[in-house]
Amino acid sequence: MNDLKPQLHRRDFLRGALVLGIAAPLTVTLASCAAGGSTAPAATGGPKSATNPFGVKAKSTVAATIFNGGYGTDYVTFAAAVMAKQKNGVTATVSPATNIAQTLQPKFVAGNPPDLVDNSGANAIGISTIRSQLAELSDVIAANNYEGKKIADTLYGGVTKPGTLDGKLLILNYVLTVYAIWYSKSLFDANGWTVPKTWDEAYQLGLKAKAKGKYLFIWGKEAATYYQTLAIASSIKEGGDEVRLALENLEPKCWSKPAIQSVFTAMKKIIDAGMFKPGGAGTQFTAAQAQWSNDESGLLYPSGSWIENEMIKQTKAGFKMTGAPEFTVTSSSAMPYEAMHSTAGEPFVVPAKGANVAGGKELLRAMLSNEAATNFAKTRLTPTIVKGTVPADGFGSTALVSQSTLLTNAGDHVFSWNFVDLYGMNQDQLVVWNTFLSGKSSVAQHTAGLQAITDKVASDSSVTKVKVS
Amino acid sequence: MTGIAPSLPTAGGPSRAARWRRKNLTFDKISFAAVFLGIPLVVYLVLVLSPFVQAIGYSLTSWSGFDASTPFVGFANYVKAFTDADFLHAVQNSVTLVLVLPVVIIAIAIALASLVTIGGSSSGPVRGVRGGEFYRILLFFPYIIPAIAVGIMWGQIYDPSNGLLNGILTSVGLTAFASYPWLGDARTAMVATMFVMIWASVGFYVVIFVAAIKALPAEIFEAARLDGAGRFRIATRVTVPMLRSNIRTSLIYTGIFALDAFVFMSALNAGGGPQNSTLVISQELFKTAFTKGEFGYACAMGVVLAAITLLFAGVVFLVDRLTGGREDLQEE
Repeated sequence: MNDLKPQLHRRDFLRGALVLGIAAPLTVTLASCAAGGSTAPAATGGPKSATNPFGVKAKSTVAATIFNGGYGTDYVTFAAAVMAKQKNGVTATVSPATNIAQTLQPKFVAGNPPDLVDNSGANAIGISTIRSQLAELSDVIAANNYEGKKIADTLYGGVTKPGTLDGKLLILNYVLTVYAIWYSKSLFDANGWTVPKTWDEAYQLGLKAKAKGKYLFIWGKEAATYYQTLAIASSIKEGGDEVRLALENLEPKCWSKPAIQSVFTAMKKIIDAGMFKPGGAGTQFTAAQAQWSNDESGLLYPSGSWIENEMIKQTKAGFKMTGAPEFTVTSSSAMPYEAMHSTAGEPFVVPAKGANVAGGKELLRAMLSNEAATNFAKTRLTPTIVKGTVPADGFGSTALVSQSTLLTNAGDHVFSWNFVDLYGMNQDQLVVWNTFLSGKSSVAQHTAGLQAITDKVASDSSVTKVKVS
Repeated sequence: MTGIAPSLPTAGGPSRAARWRRKNLTFDKISFAAVFLGIPLVVYLVLVLSPFVQAIGYSLTSWSGFDASTPFVGFANYVKAFTDADFLHAVQNSVTLVLVLPVVIIAIAIALASLVTIGGSSSGPVRGVRGGEFYRILLFFPYIIPAIAVGIMWGQIYDPSNGLLNGILTSVGLTAFASYPWLGDARTAMVATMFVMIWASVGFYVVIFVAAIKALPAEIFEAARLDGAGRFRIATRVTVPMLRSNIRTSLIYTGIFALDAFVFMSALNAGGGPQNSTLVISQELFKTAFTKGEFGYACAMGVVLAAITLLFAGVVFLVDRLTGGREDLQEE
């Protein structure tokens, strides 16, 4: 212990520190709101021609900011190399980013955004925020690809629909996603199980799974809304397009539609029977998915077709991951059982204020070339929106083969919806779904919770609505 | 015993301010002031104060954050904030944190600091428990780990199926905890999160209080012991009153820590937790700014958070003064 010393200095110091201490959080919370000035856009371009449909300046460079997630960014680098080989020799610099909104926010404010953005991931920019700053992309799909075919003719049907807002194509979703219920074909074959087609059959399968000490479903806290995706798809198949339109247009009481209620009731029966692996609300979602793909403690998992690529390192050998259509409620549903929820993901946008707008479009054109699209399908085991890039053996992937099969069987019965992403509802809905899947809310409470989220957006006059028909 | 602190001798002589005034301003003195006072002041104005003003300005607009247009909307964002159920829920959670964490962290820190400084053998000189140095290092250890790593680590410990905690609980026979989601159940999510925050920060305050107690004259503790005071009585009646200003400062620091909590919340329950039970203002602000593209509204939330922080600091000072801290403040 020290001798007596004047205490003043220490107190002085602490008081000074106190002021700084109060200032510190203020700086953190407030400084993030700082903004820059704005500069006028400088869109440069050359003459347009059949081989240069957007009039991109020869030897110019394209700045692309690409979300660095499950698909990585090297597929864009590949497309850039394809582009550089063309006559105009346009090159691209591909910048990977994990937080698109945080990375690009200052650039959008300053008026110098990149020429091409893959606006994907958990921190994507809400499209309604930057909608007025995006270039129209209809000339991209009207142009010919590098192989000389009109791009629009090479795409799967309906893939440009989600990116078309009020009649304008602003977003080009590059990757085709098939939403399905995924299972291990080898596990099902070994036990003589068949894939359920209705919620009742799913319940019956759940009983058999329980006898083997397994669960029917597993879920993770960040991915609880995968079950919402399943429920909505199932409801649309059961009740038809009017269910989809009610949800898309944020109608009052849309979650109380009979088709949706019948799905929720069927889910509740499965939840109450303890067929969901407990603890999902506290489990990190990839850990939960590994309980399905590696431990096989759950039988079924509803997800998009990215699941194979996402879990590739945590999938049991010989798993034979296969997709099946979402359940219907009855066998007399409005849409056939084979109908599929499929949409295109990885939204690419070209900011209108970019320095080389034509270059951004040119890079998209390169990505849509048969060469670049085939490269993507082969290396990512996921098809792009470009048709005919997946061979019959699916590059050796059962999941990729089943995606092709599902899409072929579905024919014209392919549907999708947009309202969850468009209005940024997922985070709020996660809370409600985690509660429901944990068995802590009734169907009525669950419906009220979801309706409240829809109503909040519907009544918020500052949110620009998109009318869907 | 509480009257000890004011009777301590203080530094004598006229105050520094008075001495300063008496001398003439020389070039030496002016250049010194310019370098050591002027430059920091400018830096402070530009980097600290101007963002405050700017943020308050933006909070009165409906700026989306992604373009240059900032339409003025008056106090509409504040009206929206106080009618937004999610934001109010976040405020409620932040206030819960700020009421619980500082008191708990400081109580534990003082108890541990007392143990390692004055809790030892009652014969011979006043000293801490055996191995006190070792415990100090051990207690400080969690503070060295970055908050995000702490969050990820505890996320794994709390994992319902494969986590360490449920593994231990079920192995001692508490099978009810098999697959119990500590972070996924609204009843436990907040408590579990608070525990992690306490675990991560208590060591730092132990070190602060150990240093403060060591700076106190040993004679006082010896005198108290001769008067027959036990360890607990010494801790509550001698140590705590003499550490008043340290405790006050630490309360404010822990309060700020509790009001921010962003890193811990994001690591443990990024989405706000079950039924939004761990949603805090900073998370709601981040979501509003970056995913919903409402920077003006987010700035208003930031201003509210700042106001709550200042209010908390004010309450701490007020309580301190009402409980007899006045003499301490008037000491100079």
